[in-house]
This record gives sequence, C-alpha cells and structure tokens, in this order.
Amino acid sequence: MGRMKKLLDQSLRPLVIYAFTVLLISIPVYFLIIDLIWENELDKHHYAIREKLEKRLTRLSLPDTAVDNMIAVLDKVQPGFSFNETATPRPDSLYTIIRFDSFMNDREQFRCLTTDIRVNHKLYRMLIETNMEEVDETILAIGGVTVFFIMLLLAGFIYLNRKTALRIWQPFYDTLAGVRTFRLETGRAVPLPVSDVTEFADLNASLDTLMQGSLASYRQQKEFTENASHELQTPLAIVKSRLDMLLQSQSLDAGQMRIVEQVYQAINRVSRINKNLLLLARIEHAQFEEKEPIALGETLAGVAEQFADRFENNALHYTENIEPFAIEANPVLTEILLTNLLVNAVRYTPEGGQVQVHLGGGVLTIANTGTGALQAKNLFRRFAQASDAHAGSGLGLAITREICDRYGWQIGYDFGQGMHRFSVRF
Amino acid sequence: MKILIIEDEPGLAESIGAYLTAQDYLCEYAGTWAQAREKVELYRYDCILLDLMLPGGDGMDILETLKKQGQQDGVIIISAKGDYETKITGLHAGADDYLAKPFHLPELAARIYSVIRRRSFANHNHVVQNELKVDLLSKTITVHGEVVVLTKKELDLLLFFIGNKNRVIAKSALAEHLSGDIADMFDNHDFVYAHVKNLKKKLSEAGYGNYLKTIYGTGYKWEG
Repeated sequence: MGRMKKLLDQSLRPLVIYAFTVLLISIPVYFLIIDLIWENELDKHHYAIREKLEKRLTRLSLPDTAVDNMIAVLDKVQPGFSFNETATPRPDSLYTIIRFDSFMNDREQFRCLTTDIRVNHKLYRMLIETNMEEVDETILAIGGVTVFFIMLLLAGFIYLNRKTALRIWQPFYDTLAGVRTFRLETGRAVPLPVSDVTEFADLNASLDTLMQGSLASYRQQKEFTENASHELQTPLAIVKSRLDMLLQSQSLDAGQMRIVEQVYQAINRVSRINKNLLLLARIEHAQFEEKEPIALGETLAGVAEQFADRFENNALHYTENIEPFAIEANPVLTEILLTNLLVNAVRYTPEGGQVQVHLGGGVLTIANTGTGALQAKNLFRRFAQASDAHAGSGLGLAITREICDRYGWQIGYDFGQGMHRFSVRF
Repeated sequence: MKILIIEDEPGLAESIGAYLTAQDYLCEYAGTWAQAREKVELYRYDCILLDLMLPGGDGMDILETLKKQGQQDGVIIISAKGDYETKITGLHAGADDYLAKPFHLPELAARIYSVIRRRSFANHNHVVQNELKVDLLSKTITVHGEVVVLTKKELDLLLFFIGNKNRVIAKSALAEHLSGDIADMFDNHDFVYAHVKNLKKKLSEAGYGNYLKTIYGTGYKWEG
C-alpha cells in the first residue's frame, strides 16, 4: 500500500484542478474581448472625429489657401493627426501598429484610421492614430489579476473545505475513534455517536451489529472452554481415584506399577491443562476483580521458597536479589504470575544451570540458563510451544500475559549471554 | 469413625468409600441433595465429605444447615469448582477443609485424618505407631522415648503416611501433598525420594523398625 491519502484532500483535488483550468482559459478570452472592445470603440471614435472635422471645415466656407493653412497647422500641431493632399480617393484602412514613439520615448501601440476627407473639392488623405495599451502589457495585467484571483480562490477552497468538510465528516471520525477502542476482552460494545445523517447512522448501526456479533461468539467460545474444562474435572477425579485404588492391589508387579505411574503422569498433565484453561477463562471473565496492596518482594520470596525442593533436585543455582516494591493487584493473580514464571524457569533450565531472580526499580527479571533464543512471537500464545522442549501445559505464559495485560504491566522476553530473560515492568 | 460421602458421581463415591473402608472408617453414602439432607439431620458423623453440585440442590445449603444447628461434624468440601471464591466461601461457612477435584485418595485420607484429629483434640493429642510417638500439640516425635528432630516437610510426610497406614501411595500424591499448587506443574517428582530417604534414615537411626516400604521405586507404604 502506498502513501495514504486523506479523504478531505481527495474531494478538494478535482475542484482545484477545475478552477485552475477555467481561470487559465479565461486569460486569453478576457484579452480578446478587451482588445475587441478597445478597437471597436477607437474605430468609432476615429470615424466620429473624421466626420466632425470634415463638416466643421466645410461649414467654415474658407478660401482654399486658408484651408490649406489650417490643415497644415493641424498636421503639425494636433497630436495623432497627419494630412496629405491626394488626387485619387482610396478605401479606408483600419489597423493596429506597434512602433517607437519619440514623444513617449518608448515602444507604443496605436490604433490607426487612414481615410479621405474632402474640403472645398480638395481631397486629403488623413491618418488618425490613438495610443492604446500594448498587447503584451494587457495580457500581463490580465494574467496577473487572474493569478491573484486563482490564489484567492484556492486559499478560500482549502479553508472552507477544511472547515465545512471537517464538520460534515466529524461523526465519521468519532465513529472511527470509537471503533478503535473496541476490545473483545472487555466484553462490551463501544457506544457509537448518534448521527442524524442517514449514512453515518447506517454505518454505526452496522458496526454495532458487528461488535455485538463478535462479542456473542467470543462469549460463547469462552463459556464453551469453561464448561468443557468443568465437565472434565469429574471424570478426571474418577480416573485419579481409580488409579489410587488400583495401586492398593496386592498383585501388581513392577511392570504394572510403572504403567500406573505413567498413567498418573498423563492424568496429571491433563489436569494441569484443564486447570489452566479454567483459570484463563476465569481471568477473561473478569473474575479476581478485588485488588489490594501487595508487598511484591515478600510475595516473590515466599513463592520462590516453594521451589526450593525443585532447585535442589535439579541442581539449579538459584540466586535472588529482591528490593521491596509495592503494587496494587489481586493477590491470587500476582501469585499465579510469579509461580508461572518460576515454573517456566525451573522447567526449562538444564541440570546444573542458573536461575536468577531480580526485583528492582519496578522491574522483575527472571533469568535462566538456556541454549538458544526462543521464538518470541509464539512465546505468549496458547499451546504454541516456542521450543522443542515441552512438558508444560502450553498455557503458563499465556496466563502470565493475560494477567499482565489486565494490570497494564509490560511483559518481555530476550535472550543473551546464554540466559533466557523474562521481565515484567510494573 | 463414621464418614458420610455426599457425592453424586457413583464412580468417585465408590473409590472414596473403598479406600476409606480399608482405613477402618465406616462409610455411608448420599448421592442427592435430599438424601444428604436427611442423613445429616438424622445421624452424626466424624467427617462429612461434601460435594457442592448435587442433583436437587447446592451442597453449601447442607453446610449452612449443619452450622446453624451447631453440629460438630467435620466437613471437607470436595468440589470440581476449583476457584478461590468458592473455596473461601466454603471455609467461611464453616468447612474444615476444601479439596478441589481431581484429588488423590491418600490426600483425602490425610485431610480426613487431620480433621478428625483436630476435632478430638482434647483427649487425643498424640499418636502412637509401634515404637513411634507423635505429640501433635508440640509437634515432637519420639522413638523409644528419644526425640527425633524432623524438618517441617519430613513431619508433614510422616503425618501423611500415618493418615494412610498400610496403603500404597503414589509418588505424585506425595509430591502434591508436599508442594501444593506447584506440584502438578511438573512431571518429575524425584524430590519426594530425597525427603522420604531422609525421614527413613532419621527414624531408623533412632531405632524405628523398617515399616516404611518402597514399592518398586514408584510408591510408598507405611506399615503399622
């Protein structure tokens, strides 16, 4: 998946592109229209001047020499006019030129009309030119103004989009935030915000149905586990008691005794798994709610003492370094947590190995000798053996993690210098 | 000694009964709530084994009735409900002990022995086994009048054996008894061997006969 795009930016993009295109097209259109109006207006103006001049000069009824003089004066003095005597009439000519103007001392654009006027039967060729804005400057001015408005428009779009779209989509974001906090383990659906928008209301209703469905199947699964484990207890008790009775039989020989011993072991393992399954179900069922202050150091030392026989029997070197530390938790769960971690250490340490317990600075570390790192991702999963060695119920560490999760403690594992290290940060 | 076994599972009740009968207990049975109720109202027992989930009612009612009437019968709850709340509720209601299913029969026998012993404390504060005498009050052991110093675990073991006289006890039953909750987390129970060996040694050094037998290396038997 590439870079994620925000929904709001998605809707803004085509709008911006469209506005940009329209405004860019508008630049030449504006120019053409303005140019056309200019030229049309100037041409009308030029013809008006021509008509007035011809009429006024004719009405004066001056002698030819006076007319010549006057025209010579106009030619010299009146800006934008020039006259030449001509013999034959020619058609009018309208055009635009750009040339250097000595008076303005710059390049200028002019609209020109070349026409004939007749005064006292004498024909003059007259040129009228009016300075107008140059093409490039017009385009530049229009372009500048357009770009300014594009910017204004874009800024407005972005601002309004953020403001209105954010408001429109707010229920969606609220729903998203709500769904994000949903956890099956809590056993509760997250209340989603009420919306009067059909789509959002539909979305929330569907999500709610989905959550309720998940919760129901999760509950069923948990209940199933608990009931199944419960139902197993009684037959297990019968098998165990029958074995105890079988042992009393006088006729058992050594081989049969060994078989009975093996059956005991298998039965014990089944009871262990069953007990842990029940325990997990109970922890998930949010039992063990009550909390009390616990002197963790003392509890730890007490639990560790129960293992003295095991350390001795397996020739394990046990060292502890425990500082007093107080936590607030359920005493039963705390004891189970410590026991499981120690059981784990004892079970997987080879004979003659080390088991080191350290509690300090709110961190408990239980380290034991091992040969290679375990698969961290399987370590805390149910029935997922992280090494070839086995003997556990496959649930011990899953239970420790469940307990840690409940209290927000962080459980971690690493391997180094030939030691497995499990740590719990309280 | 009279025991009432209130247990709806016939297979289990039968095993318990057979084991205890061989221990010279007199066993009676109740398989339903109504039967149990009738028995505890009519007769007195030294110890009542009470299952909580019974056809027809909750075993806890029977315990409460007994206590309300001020009866002195010892009560051990045997339940498949292994949770701590039930255990605490049961002990609060006046049960002497609580044993979660599945359990070893020798463990049950040791608990019964302990309950009965405590109940009849006043006139029965020591146990005599051959040359051995155990003073339950001061927890001192004497053989031929000489004091034998035992560790807590060895004493525990000795009382367990005495409570299961002439019975073959599996190593795992001893392990469970000695290390409680953590016992069933391990498959290897060799540490039991070390404790038994030490106990045996101390007793024989004091002149106690070889009454503690090892059965094919996997079980133990205290002959008395």
